[in-house]
Amino acid sequence: AQERQEQLQEREKFLKSRIQELRQRRDALREKVRQAVSELGNLGIASEPDPREVLEWKIQKCRELLRLFRLTGISGKLSPHGISLSLHTSFEGSLLDSFHLELQERGDSGRFWLCRHSVPPFIPLERLARELLPRNPRQFLGILCRHLNTFVGRREQLRKLQEEFPDSVQVLSQNSLCNFLSFRYRIPAESSGEFQEFRAQLRYRDPTGTRPDDVTAVTGDGVAVPEHSELLRRLPLHRALRQIHDTTAGTTTTG
Amino acid sequence: MDETVAEYIRRTVLKMPRDEIKMMLQKWGFLSEAQLQTLNFHQQKDNISQEVVQLCEVNPLNSYFFLDNHIYQNKRMWSVYQMKKSGEEEEYFDIADFKKKFKGRIRSALKNVTITFKEYEDNAIWIRVAWGTPHKKPNQYKPSYVVYHSQTPYVFISASVLKSNLPLLCQALIVASNYRDIREMELRSHSLNSLKDIVFKRYSQNFQTYSPKPVQGWNVEAENADRRIVHENRSVKERIHRLNQESFGCGPQPKLEFAQYRLDTMFKSDPKMDVLDKKEPFRCLVKFSSPHLLESLKSLAPLGMADAPLSPLLTCITHKARNYFKIREKKESFVSP
Repeated sequence: AQERQEQLQEREKFLKSRIQELRQRRDALREKVRQAVSELGNLGIASEPDPREVLEWKIQKCRELLRLFRLTGISGKLSPHGISLSLHTSFEGSLLDSFHLELQERGDSGRFWLCRHSVPPFIPLERLARELLPRNPRQFLGILCRHLNTFVGRREQLRKLQEEFPDSVQVLSQNSLCNFLSFRYRIPAESSGEFQEFRAQLRYRDPTGTRPDDVTAVTGDGVAVPEHSELLRRLPLHRALRQIHDTTAGTTTTG
Repeated sequence: MDETVAEYIRRTVLKMPRDEIKMMLQKWGFLSEAQLQTLNFHQQKDNISQEVVQLCEVNPLNSYFFLDNHIYQNKRMWSVYQMKKSGEEEEYFDIADFKKKFKGRIRSALKNVTITFKEYEDNAIWIRVAWGTPHKKPNQYKPSYVVYHSQTPYVFISASVLKSNLPLLCQALIVASNYRDIREMELRSHSLNSLKDIVFKRYSQNFQTYSPKPVQGWNVEAENADRRIVHENRSVKERIHRLNQESFGCGPQPKLEFAQYRLDTMFKSDPKMDVLDKKEPFRCLVKFSSPHLLESLKSLAPLGMADAPLSPLLTCITHKARNYFKIREKKESFVSP
């Protein structure tokens, strides 16, 4: 717990200095724009812009805004029945599944209820909607997004693990939410060319957690391997296993 | 190996069409590829089935019971059941615990049963139950199949003819999965995957979203590049297409074979016609059947056989996840039981 506290503090410091950095860059850019505009004024360009060009520019700006919203993970649109929201999930820089919701307002009460959706049944959507949606739609969306993103992230990790190590990883047990996983993996021992068998079990207690809470890695005889379980706890599955491979095979770990 | 089991395997192999035996045995996955290689598929079916039995006896596993699954895949009628939680959130699903509790509950009521589990990659857990009686061994030829996806409240059941075992089966399911209650939904079909698509919301719904790619406008001209054909009423056709898309979405529809409406409504006609002199509700059953009901409903308006938009009673099937309806007299809307 002490370690976690320190980690959080470090992260906070890092993020604060990043914010500072970005603010400085923003101010510098603003200055640039201001200079350019004043220069333009000086040059005396005052011709009437072509209305067609203006319209095209506006459309382009609109498209860019919509694309930007899509990248934030939530985009929405007013529909004939209410509000249509799309939640876009991503993992390690790739956009993955999109899920959709339709919300309707009860009269003018400002309270929303869930109409249609395309969220899978193992996400506790009804419970979240019941508890949060009428009073606090933003919180509802925020938490739902986390549930969806972490689910998709865990699923992707498992897929990548099986894709990168098709012969050395065998999944023993998993569940729909991918928050419980047990698998066998084998690593070629240093020089002998023989394989060492291991078994790992991961459990995510918090469905919105990105890292597993309980990790056990044992050899074929049941002896715990703390180095492996530490890697599996810290890194995404496929990268953890890549690192386990590299260290065991005696090559230097990269990145 | 038990005599009845050997007999079951032999008979099931005999039921398979000759040219599909190899493929079905492979799908079954019980015999290894090496073992399958040793089989001679060009001899008489009788001999093939005998050889299969002999190979099975060598195997240490005992999940041979799923052999009949692949034969009757699309002939079975599946019903959907929904379970209700007791209120607490379950943290994670432990399949070993599930199996133990399920077997325990069934065996505590009935000794002569065969229960087999099989897990598939799409997180589907298949349970096969062959039922017996206190005096008879389990009947392997009329098993019940249950399909369950962990952490969902839905169970798909293909009950055998022995309906009396259904309450026990349902009880075992809620005990094993830590739910409080279970009820049968009004949704049935031969296609298990389509039922899953409907309740898991995997079918294409028409949501208004912004997509970066340009939406493919339905272009009448693109459909028929022959310039000699002029399309009259193009705007009407486009309107119909748009309304249809709102009701059904753009993707393929889940496969249902029928929709049934039990009407209990007042017959509305010109009083002078005096069709029914009693002011009583008119009871009848309307059943729509089709090899692919939703696709045919979707094509009604574009073919000009019905007005768009279709009645919400037809278009609500996937959204309400039901194809059995009871319609009673209550203003203009229908009441579901």
